[in-house]
Amino acid sequence: MRILSVLVLVISSIASPLAIADDSKIEIISPADGAKLDAMEQSKIEYNVTLGGGADHIHVYVDGKETALLRQMKGSYTMETLSMGKHEVCIKIVNKNHTPIGVERCIKVEVE
Amino acid sequence: MTLDIQNLAYAITQIVHNFGAVTVVGGAVYALLRREAELQRKLAWIVLAGWMIQAFSGATFGAISYYYYAKFPDLFGIAVVALIVKVVCAGLGFTLAGWQLIAHRTEVSRRYAWITLCGLGVLALSSAAVLRWFS
Repeated sequence: MRILSVLVLVISSIASPLAIADDSKIEIISPADGAKLDAMEQSKIEYNVTLGGGADHIHVYVDGKETALLRQMKGSYTMETLSMGKHEVCIKIVNKNHTPIGVERCIKVEVE
Repeated sequence: MTLDIQNLAYAITQIVHNFGAVTVVGGAVYALLRREAELQRKLAWIVLAGWMIQAFSGATFGAISYYYYAKFPDLFGIAVVALIVKVVCAGLGFTLAGWQLIAHRTEVSRRYAWITLCGLGVLALSSAAVLRWFS
């Protein structure tokens, strides 16, 4: 009976491959979406992340390019100097193999 | 008991990948210690299989990610370089081990090939450590 339950679990997992991580969430505390940043100041992103099933750590992306891997789930990250203009900053939750699990939060900022 | 199939898949792949690493380095080192032609031929088959296992299991890590999330792992910086080094080592190692089997070569050239295979194995293993801790 126990073997049968394991078998059912294996088959059901194979049948529905796409993992759901709806209990993971990301909050970007600052800057706010659409914020204008000073080009002369360091750009820092403050965040708060909750990891759900399958989640392991987070990656930070600036304009689609990965810039950091963070294992601290609440804190801040100082970005490399951003050029003048509009930028998109994203945080994605990834699994142990660094694969985005589908939970992400993006903001747009403008450096002037 | 909760059985995480995804982690189990990664773990099994990691086991296969680790044994592949043992095979490519161990086989080449043993071939350097023993000079019998027939034994070296057998070891060339084993090392060839080892590099195939390395390539296949390495690709399987990406395949598992794609299967579960329809995405490949996101690597950047030094980790990407380390992965490229591993892939190149696997390609060269497979080619050289195959060449050991096909070509009729002198003992000296066979020895140089085993030294190179040994170096490729060590380099791939070292890159794996870099990939692990810089990603």
